[in-house]
Amino acid sequence: MYGNDDYDPNYEAGYDYNYDSEYTSRAGDATGDGEYGRQFYKMPDIVKKFLQYFHNAVNEGLIFELQNLYETSWPKLTEEYFEKRPWPEESEVATLVNNDPVFMILYKELYFRHIYARIQGGPSLEQRFNSFYNYCDLFNYILSAEKPVLLELPDLWLWELVDEFVYQFQSFAQYRARLQKKSPTELDTLNNNNKVWNVLCVLNVLHSLVDKSNIKQQLEVYANGGDPDSVAGDFGRHSLYKMLGYFSLVGLLRLHSLLGDYYQAIKVLENIEVHKKSQFAHVPACQISTSYYVGFAYMMMRRYADAIRTFSSILLYIQRTKQLFASKSYQHDQINKQTDQMYNLLAICLVLHPQCIDESIQQTLREKNCHEKMYKMQYGDLQEFESSFVYACPKFLSPFPPPVDSLPEDYSKEAIKHQTSVFMAEVQQQKMLPTIRSYLKLYTTLPLSKLALFMSQNQETSEDLLKEMRNLTIHLLCFKHKMKNIVWSKGPSGLEGKFQSGSELDFYIDNDMIHIADTKVAHRYGDFFIRKILKFEELNRKLHHLKI
Amino acid sequence: MAEAMKQTVSSMLKGIERYNPDNLPTLEKYVEIQSRENAYDLEANLAVLKLYQFNPQSFNVNITCQILLKALTNFPHTDFILCKCLLNEKQLALESITQIMYLGDILEQCDFQLFWTIVSTKPELIQKITGFFDSIRKFVCHVVGITYQRIERSHLSELLGDVDDITLKHWVRKYGWHEDGNLVFIANQDENIKTKNINEKIDFESVGAIMASCR
Repeated sequence: MYGNDDYDPNYEAGYDYNYDSEYTSRAGDATGDGEYGRQFYKMPDIVKKFLQYFHNAVNEGLIFELQNLYETSWPKLTEEYFEKRPWPEESEVATLVNNDPVFMILYKELYFRHIYARIQGGPSLEQRFNSFYNYCDLFNYILSAEKPVLLELPDLWLWELVDEFVYQFQSFAQYRARLQKKSPTELDTLNNNNKVWNVLCVLNVLHSLVDKSNIKQQLEVYANGGDPDSVAGDFGRHSLYKMLGYFSLVGLLRLHSLLGDYYQAIKVLENIEVHKKSQFAHVPACQISTSYYVGFAYMMMRRYADAIRTFSSILLYIQRTKQLFASKSYQHDQINKQTDQMYNLLAICLVLHPQCIDESIQQTLREKNCHEKMYKMQYGDLQEFESSFVYACPKFLSPFPPPVDSLPEDYSKEAIKHQTSVFMAEVQQQKMLPTIRSYLKLYTTLPLSKLALFMSQNQETSEDLLKEMRNLTIHLLCFKHKMKNIVWSKGPSGLEGKFQSGSELDFYIDNDMIHIADTKVAHRYGDFFIRKILKFEELNRKLHHLKI
Repeated sequence: MAEAMKQTVSSMLKGIERYNPDNLPTLEKYVEIQSRENAYDLEANLAVLKLYQFNPQSFNVNITCQILLKALTNFPHTDFILCKCLLNEKQLALESITQIMYLGDILEQCDFQLFWTIVSTKPELIQKITGFFDSIRKFVCHVVGITYQRIERSHLSELLGDVDDITLKHWVRKYGWHEDGNLVFIANQDENIKTKNINEKIDFESVGAIMASCR
């Protein structure tokens, strides 16, 4: 149903046509044999009515009605009738809606999305291909029109459509890289259809949607306080194109991140202030996804202050608005998962770059048992770093399938292994810093030699101490280097910024003396007193109401 | 020449054109020019690595090495990490790339003495990159500049790669530092690096409402 990074149901099941199950055999039968299908299953009347009404709403452009149908009725009917089986075949539906081609494309998009999300064993090769072709049809229809097409869809739908498109590409790339379970015929089919789910094709679609809508120009004008419509052009003024353009930028952010291209990932969001509300950013799932990928890219670029800012601000937003999307369960799962991943990433960033954050986020970190993980990481537990990273990182992929003559092995983990090793190299380089930090925290001034003595832990010969001094000096330089990073303050590009030391502990060396500057946070009494006052008021009121 | 090419190249990096493999020869030539003329264009270089990622058969180890070395010259920026993320494990295992990765690792850990020792044994690795040593010295000066108030003269000269007296004086002057006997005075750090106290500030407005309701 949704572009969740994590569900990849066909991971172990691999890919084999499960012809013994009723559903997959029907789903594989894409040409549609109505008689055959009806022997197993007859479309309930309520579904028929729903589809006809749905069709009508699309045609008439009843946007509020569509929103309701998309967000409520479809999931409800799915739960009731299609929990574990696909929605009705194309051919069965087509007759209900007079073969309306546009509606059928939209229907098939939902149909395949449901298969990806709910059907055990995941989509078959054929279904993956057909879903791709269906996306081609959809985007061709939208992009090759001479005048803006008369189609209006709810923003949430548009977002999930673009997000799902990228997700299915990701899913295909993972599937494609697992050579170990594929038969020669399957490999042949795959090798002969290299255009399907090709990365350039996906990039091309997203870039075309961006260009067609003039969304970049619109965002630039908007950021400068102007009216986006003045540069939107015929297409970009239409909500459909404008929003598809905007969501495609976020799609590109995700795609670049999956390929390890963090520079482009951040760059593509130029003129979007991630943590700011705007006329474009009102789909919570989109904002959450945006912050996740932006924060992650910052973390990889060692811009911890920016990563921490990005994560805390979205996590606060989620805390405050949780009830709003709690009702929609399928979104909820995705959001919960991504939230959890962000808490883990935030924990990693805070270990590498200790800094004050909002008290309520701190509280949740405690509740989520992140403190224990942080404690382990502070004490140099590399395994903990790695497992937290692997849990919380995007599912990286390599843009191209393994060469035709590769051994039949599983190549799907290579990209994630590589990104993990890049990150772990960074952690390795910083592994002495927490120890040094813990000593420095205890002093305001500390001679180099004394710290060297602490670090060497009771080695007494002066020769060792000299060596220790030398090593210590290197670590101290490394400390300063790693803690001084680019931090964004203003301007349209998230890549820009100034070098700052934002971490809570800092120091300088004057010849052989270390001078330490710590950040001291005074207790916050305000909140405490307000709570007590309110409690007292409440008590007082109750007392007044007592009748003796 | 690098300046002139910057314009041509920037149009090759727009939108979907960035992924056009026909641009690769021009972009590779641009890398060579950057090496020769001590110029630098991260975005163009990342585009080259991206094209290698998308077209593994065009991968050119020589160009990749130059891109990585150029990224080293742009420390303390994290360009080197960005480049590394676009390569894959197999490419990282190539000998010349492994060597550069090692150099990057030492620099990241600020073990400058070790860096100069290793580099002196591998002159062929970096000979193509004009101004390589001085770029690294700039990074050394950056780190020294943020770390020290006063540093021993001999230590500074070691960090810069055992430079002679004249060269040392040159770098000291370039950064506006002052020699002070056997020490070099870098800057007065206690203005920038001081203990911060974060206190809660509650103004009258924010308590006004609650006070009013408590009457």
